[in-house]
Amino acid sequence: MGGTGAVAELEVRKIRKEFGSLVAVRDASLRFDSARVTCLLGPSGCGKTTLMRMIAGLETPTSGDVLFDGKPVTSLSPSARDIGMVFQYPVVYQGLTARQNIMLPLRSLRTLSAADRSRRVDDALAILDLRDVADTDVGRLTHALKQKVAVARAIARQPHIILMDEPVTNIDATTKSQLKYALRRLTRELHQTIVYVTHDQTEAMTLADEILLMNEGEIVQRGSPREVYNHPAHRFGGWFLGNPGMNFVSHRVEKRAGELTLGRPLFARDTHLHGLDGETDVIVGVRPESLAIAGTASENSVPARIKHAAIVTGGQQLLALEVDGRTVKAKVPAGSSYRIGEDVHVTCDPDDVTLFDTDGGKLEVIFRPKADDA
Amino acid sequence: MRALSTTLESDRFNVVLGPPGCGKSLLLRLMTGLEPADAGAILIDGRDVGDLSPGERNIGYVPQSFALYPHYRVFDNIAYPLTLAGSRRRDAEGAVRRIAEMLRIEALLDKRPDQLSGGEKQRVAIARGLVKDTTLFVLDDPLTGLDFKLREQLFDDLRVMREALGATFVYTTSDPLESLILADHVHLLNDGRIVEAGPVEAVYRAPRHLHSMQLLGFPRTNVLAGTLETNSGRVTCRTELFEVPVTLSDGEASDFGASRGVKAGVRAEHLVLGDVLRDRNVHIPVEVVLAEDLGGELVVHLDAGEHRLITVLRHERGVDLDERDLIAQVAPESIIVFDDEHLQCVASGGDGRRG
Repeated sequence: MGGTGAVAELEVRKIRKEFGSLVAVRDASLRFDSARVTCLLGPSGCGKTTLMRMIAGLETPTSGDVLFDGKPVTSLSPSARDIGMVFQYPVVYQGLTARQNIMLPLRSLRTLSAADRSRRVDDALAILDLRDVADTDVGRLTHALKQKVAVARAIARQPHIILMDEPVTNIDATTKSQLKYALRRLTRELHQTIVYVTHDQTEAMTLADEILLMNEGEIVQRGSPREVYNHPAHRFGGWFLGNPGMNFVSHRVEKRAGELTLGRPLFARDTHLHGLDGETDVIVGVRPESLAIAGTASENSVPARIKHAAIVTGGQQLLALEVDGRTVKAKVPAGSSYRIGEDVHVTCDPDDVTLFDTDGGKLEVIFRPKADDA
Repeated sequence: MRALSTTLESDRFNVVLGPPGCGKSLLLRLMTGLEPADAGAILIDGRDVGDLSPGERNIGYVPQSFALYPHYRVFDNIAYPLTLAGSRRRDAEGAVRRIAEMLRIEALLDKRPDQLSGGEKQRVAIARGLVKDTTLFVLDDPLTGLDFKLREQLFDDLRVMREALGATFVYTTSDPLESLILADHVHLLNDGRIVEAGPVEAVYRAPRHLHSMQLLGFPRTNVLAGTLETNSGRVTCRTELFEVPVTLSDGEASDFGASRGVKAGVRAEHLVLGDVLRDRNVHIPVEVVLAEDLGGELVVHLDAGEHRLITVLRHERGVDLDERDLIAQVAPESIIVFDDEHLQCVASGGDGRRG
């Protein structure tokens, strides 16, 4: 929008929130990237909304601080923090037009000339594709359009930080993608510091520059969407992201011929690995779409039987396979038509595997298949 | 609801799929006898049950919105339908434990509802609905409103349970993926009528009604308005984006005059980006509007002139979506044509000669 609004750096230090005996947020320390979209992602009850509400000033931390541009704002009221907020339900004033709704909070900005105000409103209307309904009473708009007006109002004021709490959750599937599209374009054009709370992994992966994955009051992982998806730092991330999430298969790392190796159930040949101290129990994490299925055996495939097959997203087939008495899921490309009861062969490429210890933490290892040793 | 007829497959997972407000709950209430029908008959094993009370019909029922008794332990909540039917506690015990084991809530039996998470409460409610000693169960959209991850676990459990019980399930939902994953047999309900029913995979691959194609599948099917035209024995389907030769379905006459209004359906996965261009395919210049990242795949929203199209890509395909002059291809065989009047499948793309 090319406005004059300053972009603030947002930081929380050792922030903690207890509700009675429940610790909602456990001593989180974070610096949010300026001019980027950070998504707080996690299941219900993970603490993401509480963390956002403490940033907004709607909730007082039990301990720790919130800092804007290095200055503590923890004792400031929400209105004194200069933040824009968008909630799950659109907060708009019925009886006013979309334009009047967006204009409303600008009236308190005394330094702004009338011309500047209406330019900001026009910009906000344009960026959210609301020009056609600018002079319509918001009471007559759809839920999705009302939410767009609420977003436009939050950005027109050009606050330091914009906080969004599940803004597309209550929107029906067809208009959801329109609103996501508007938000995606907005965040790319705006260069504002945006903190976006959601439980929906697709929303987070689509809109975020960076994801903060939360579970039980703690930040489990921080990274770009593909990083978090492809390289979960903890078993939780492997499970939470993906439809369905990762397969977790217990394996024993054994020393064979002087080398640490991984074998059955998922690997037919000994697969050498480096980075572990010695023999140990591990969990092999592999995403359903990374397993290759074939009708005939190959060098490193293991036999499996199809227990269930269903068509899923985009005509792919989701297979439940029995491998060595364990159930593993594989998602194979559209056009496959495997049948229940069919015998197949599964290949698990070590490059697509994340190895976890038995507590679920990621193990840093390097795989090297035996064939490459020569 | 108007003159609805369908046959439920016994010892199978039957899913009734329809948009919100299409009459799914009403259908289940008619079956269980909670609601009287104005006309028509409900037959169980060939026997008209119209005069039987809900209790006499002996159908297990999992309602959409459940309320657990807050002062009862989980055990007594689950046992409630058995107690109500006059079953002795000792007899109920075995049934409750068996169903609790299947739903992996054995450890919760002595707890009270306020000590449970949302997902656990849902499992208890499902257990209460399935504890009855019968072979016909109706489940009214029981997973709606749950987090996706909780639903994912329950999908597997429900399927395994139905098999273990050897029972007939009738399950309603408005979610296409839930239907595809759970159903053996799907019944598509729209506007108070069953528009199509059959084995779920067959209906997905060869829908006979436009609404089946639109309802059963994710992401949504691309539908384009067009006309069927005949020219010296050759029949083609023309839309604003393409014209393809088609083969009429069995029993469809080609003497429909110069043209006939139709809808052409193309599933998202049949709109292909990034492949080598083939002359025999339809080519549509497109612009990427939004790529939604589902993790394992991308749902890509495209603009093609005035039309908004959707495709889906697996991640390893690695198509460059920033590339200019992107072309989406459709193989003629993957186009399904429905007539405007009855929305029935009247033709499919291609002239019958593949290759």
